[in-house]
Amino acid sequence: MNTRQNLSAILVLLGIILAFLPLSGKYSLREKPDKLLSEVLDEKTCFTADQVARFVVTEDSTVQLIDLRSAEEFKRFSIPGAINIPYNELMALDLESYLNRDVRSIFYSNGDYQSGYALIIARGLGYKNCFVMKGGLNEWYNLVMNSRFSGETITARENALFETRTKARRMFTELNSMPDSLKARYRESKEIERKKLDGGCE
Amino acid sequence: MNPYLAGTLLGLVLLFSMYLAGRGLGASGGLKYCVVSIVGAIDKSHADKSVYYNKYFEDGQNPISNWLTLVIFGVLAGGFISGAVSKRLKFKIEKSPKISNFRRLFFAFTGGVFFVYGAQLARGCTSGAALSGMAVLSLAGFITMMAIFGSAYAFAWFFRKNWI
Amino acid sequence: MGPITSLPGFPAWLDLLIAFIIGIGFGFALEQAGFSSSRKLAGMFYGYDTTVIKVFFTAAIVALVGSQFLSYLGLLNLNLVFVNEYYVTASIVGGVIMGAGFIMGGFCPGTGVSALSIGKIDALFYVLGGLTGAFLFAETYPLIQPLANGAYRGPVKINEVLGLSPGLFTLLMIAAAVVMFWLAELAEKKFARPDITDKI
Repeated sequence: MNTRQNLSAILVLLGIILAFLPLSGKYSLREKPDKLLSEVLDEKTCFTADQVARFVVTEDSTVQLIDLRSAEEFKRFSIPGAINIPYNELMALDLESYLNRDVRSIFYSNGDYQSGYALIIARGLGYKNCFVMKGGLNEWYNLVMNSRFSGETITARENALFETRTKARRMFTELNSMPDSLKARYRESKEIERKKLDGGCE
Repeated sequence: MNPYLAGTLLGLVLLFSMYLAGRGLGASGGLKYCVVSIVGAIDKSHADKSVYYNKYFEDGQNPISNWLTLVIFGVLAGGFISGAVSKRLKFKIEKSPKISNFRRLFFAFTGGVFFVYGAQLARGCTSGAALSGMAVLSLAGFITMMAIFGSAYAFAWFFRKNWI
Repeated sequence: MGPITSLPGFPAWLDLLIAFIIGIGFGFALEQAGFSSSRKLAGMFYGYDTTVIKVFFTAAIVALVGSQFLSYLGLLNLNLVFVNEYYVTASIVGGVIMGAGFIMGGFCPGTGVSALSIGKIDALFYVLGGLTGAFLFAETYPLIQPLANGAYRGPVKINEVLGLSPGLFTLLMIAAAVVMFWLAELAEKKFARPDITDKI
């Protein structure tokens, strides 16, 4: 057998193996590790709890809050408008439908750790439109829920901040003190809204 | 050397390039960087004013110390080594005996002008865009390759006297 | 895990040294394939010598298959390997111009430089023409900028466009190449020109 036939046979064999191998580059990072790290440590990838409070109060539709805590904790209370992707299930899901959109995704957890890790994973896989809420729910509690005004005079800016926090606190309390059934329905309606956004250009 | 063997060797070089440097081969890019550095050496102010040249001199970069330029120097060396080993070193003008030397050299020059102009447009030549592109399954690579081959076949009849 | 130069702290001079060594391998392989002969290269388009298609597709497939296996073994992160971007009009128009240049000059830049290194004078003129072409492009860039940068589609992969897995596409490409090799050898018999092939 001449070279051409030999070569063709070898290549066809290798090709058949390749066609059936479960090759998938989906779960390797798309960014060099040091670049990824500096991206994630950048201020630009954090939103403060105040900024998130403003998104909540204005019902900003360009932003999607993602709660990384367990389903249990999420049911007990969560930030109005957030969807729940428990941290453990982050890798098992097809993140494409949640993250690859024009909407900015903001991760939050109780503190900074889980949201930080989720951000690295999300951005590493190529979803650049992802951010975290700095300080997580602990910071939300400090700034928004427990904010008190003290002192005699207030600047316009402080006033605006205070108003936003108060409104956000009210929305938070209202949502989370609803009975479970109503809460579930509220969440479902948010899910349906989200799916409509996805279905558009399929 | 048997073409299939040579192809395998070339493929291995390309594979090494992908594994070591995360990029494929390239040749027209190297020529471009040579031109850029020559222009920069002769008339720097022109280079700084032009929207095309100045991006190669940003941050005090030197166009010569660029991956593609080093590759083209390597090609020069590698070809020489291969020629020396296979005793093919010889100054000559290769052409069909039916045409004159002048005609061959004229078309060689013109062919070079066209080819590298097109390569800059398509962002790669047969090695950079087509070969390396196909090895990473890039659509641009396949399209460019089909365009090159299709066009060469289409023009082949007109230039047949030069070759056959 | 590869690519090696993407590891943090990789020295820039070593990157360039690797480029030079790869270039040596590249030039060596091209010359060994006989590509430092313009008549051999042009032969592809007249049928008497189809080495071009054999070397070209063998090389592309070897690299394709090799890189996928390396990726599977976790030795190479294919997401960090450059995929050239698709500018629709520029790719096609550039390709057509290149085809004309190829049949006129009988070289492409890589083979031209490799031929120059073994003393071919026509390759010297080709490379000079090439430098001129690059210069012309640089000077006329403001005029053709819209053509060069239009219809940007990003680093699209052909298997994604066709909806196939990379492995399956590779198999199809191998099948196509096998057919092409067979046709190439038939063509060589049919359009044989021993008066040329004996001398190149």
